Amino acid sequence: MSSPITVAGVTLDIQEAGRGRPMLFLHPGEGMQPNRPWIEALARNHRVIAPHHPGFGNSSLPDWFGTVDDIAYLYLDLAKQLDLKDAVLVGACFGGWIAAEMAVRDTRRFAGLVLSAPLGIKVGGVLDRDITDMHSIPRAEFLRLAWANPENGTVDYASLPDTELAAIARARESLALFGWKPYMHNPRLKRWLHRIDISAHLIWGDSDGIVSTSYGEAWQAEIPGATMTVVPRAGHYPHWEQPDAFAAAVTKFTREL
Amino acid sequence: MRTWYFSEMAYHPAWEKGLARGSLRVNFPSENVDPEVAGKLLNRYLDEFALCDEAGIDIMVNEHHSTATCMTISAPMALAVIARETKKSRLLSLGNPIANRPDPVRVAEEMAWLDCLSGGRLEMGLVKGAPYEIAPANSNPARLMRRYWEAHDLILKALSTTTGPFNWEGEYYHYRNVNIWPRPIQQPTPPVWMTGMSVDTGIMAAERGHVVGTLLSGGTAKPMYDAYRKRARELGWEAGPDRFAYAAIIGVGHTTDEGLRRADIIAEYVRTAPVVAEPFTNPPGYNSIAANTMILKGGPRANRFVSDRHGEPINHRTASVQQFMDTETVFAGTPDEVFEQIKTFNARMGGVGHLLFFGQGGLLTHQDAMENIRLFGKEVAPRLLELNAPARAAAE
Repeated sequence: MSSPITVAGVTLDIQEAGRGRPMLFLHPGEGMQPNRPWIEALARNHRVIAPHHPGFGNSSLPDWFGTVDDIAYLYLDLAKQLDLKDAVLVGACFGGWIAAEMAVRDTRRFAGLVLSAPLGIKVGGVLDRDITDMHSIPRAEFLRLAWANPENGTVDYASLPDTELAAIARARESLALFGWKPYMHNPRLKRWLHRIDISAHLIWGDSDGIVSTSYGEAWQAEIPGATMTVVPRAGHYPHWEQPDAFAAAVTKFTREL
Repeated sequence: MRTWYFSEMAYHPAWEKGLARGSLRVNFPSENVDPEVAGKLLNRYLDEFALCDEAGIDIMVNEHHSTATCMTISAPMALAVIARETKKSRLLSLGNPIANRPDPVRVAEEMAWLDCLSGGRLEMGLVKGAPYEIAPANSNPARLMRRYWEAHDLILKALSTTTGPFNWEGEYYHYRNVNIWPRPIQQPTPPVWMTGMSVDTGIMAAERGHVVGTLLSGGTAKPMYDAYRKRARELGWEAGPDRFAYAAIIGVGHTTDEGLRRADIIAEYVRTAPVVAEPFTNPPGYNSIAANTMILKGGPRANRFVSDRHGEPINHRTASVQQFMDTETVFAGTPDEVFEQIKTFNARMGGVGHLLFFGQGGLLTHQDAMENIRLFGKEVAPRLLELNAPARAAAE
């Protein structure tokens, strides 16, 4: 089910499915993509609310809007507008960065936080690349690093309608707007992760070539009490590549909340 | 039609290695440049620029970064040298990639300084820059043109304000005391130029009355010039030829063969320069959503750098000098033949006031380059000055 909701002047295109504890799911930088097996898997036990980020899908991107801070405040407003209570906040990749920015600000409407291979923090030194420079490698190389099996991530663009292609082009531009510099992180975020005062769980693919499991361990060290699941045969998008294993890890976590 | 000589000051000794790696730009390591050789080449290229002053033609300089195709990393720096070595030539910076510059006030300062140094001979290009310039500058390709226009407005205000300081609290740039010293001789600002390849650029340039230039492709030039003229008319003025510039490779010789030979050698630049690693050819946001939709649909058009007069791309890697002549990338032959080619082109475009004379791609010998400039300056440039003369008078 898809419906538009206007929050703080931004029209959000939101996918919704399932019943149960509300789950705000924040998609990766690659967008939601037409094929979404993970929504059904998560919807078995949750009411999944998955907005397309501003500038992605049919969500608007006003001229004044342009930072991850803006998205974090927007989704906090969305949670209030939907009157979410004891919800679970899930963010994957770029969406994980947004979720963390929300959680360091205000966790009142959430009982738990799930970060799946989040981007967003700086761990190493100035010459270290914590996050693979996805924009300096050919597309084929990106797929090889981002997927345990790159075929799972291959999209036959020629078969998609122009509207879908335009949405992909727009989403790529929007991701650049939010994450180009500093590259896919906020240099200050790591220092504030200690503020996260709800249960937190990290999920990582064992074959993630975009952000390594040691980067995940750095997140775990900064968030009080955070736990971690490593999903076998998954790259940077465990929710996409192993939707059942991903949903099982999430459900196990949310049952204990 | 005025003539502006330019050269990219290429480091051609590394081209073969770059081609073998599939990239001459951004990720082609600098261990492939011998700095001693680079220094000798720079001096040679600057001598070629200096000759233009006595040959009676104007001078253009551009800039690129992290590349074997162009060693001019700063247009103002090159023009500073050239300004001291010339007396008459007008000096065109085409230009500063201002959306990739963190400090537009510094750009304004450098332009004002050059205008003073050269006795008011500066023409100031403010350009978007090529897609592969995004990575070396690490500038955000999203909302690039929004940043461009803010920088543009700030630079023009900084150059034209004489009662500063003023403050600037914009979306991208923040200053509290803008007050540049010295200020330019040409008031309110030196003439402003833009570059582009699209109808949109033609319209935006018309709205400000700037000169707009394009390069190497008659197929993309015509719609842009037409859009400019139409928009100017809508705004109540008639855009004369002096608002339009076109860059082409030019080889002249005492015989047709000699001219073609020179053009063919210069054209090696066009066969080589667009070779760059895939991720840097189209950063997200640099091109429009519509253009990117087409690219996703059809895959990147590998040969879109040069297109024919119908806008169809030709294979720039392998094109012959004759094919390049068919796309108006090259004008070549004897002075009479070259004049006739340009005259025909000018008529078809509806009047182009500025010819950007690409006369050195790197591989042309110093002797050939000097002779090409001398012959063009003596035999072709004076006749081009007569082209569009009535139209120019009418516009004034």
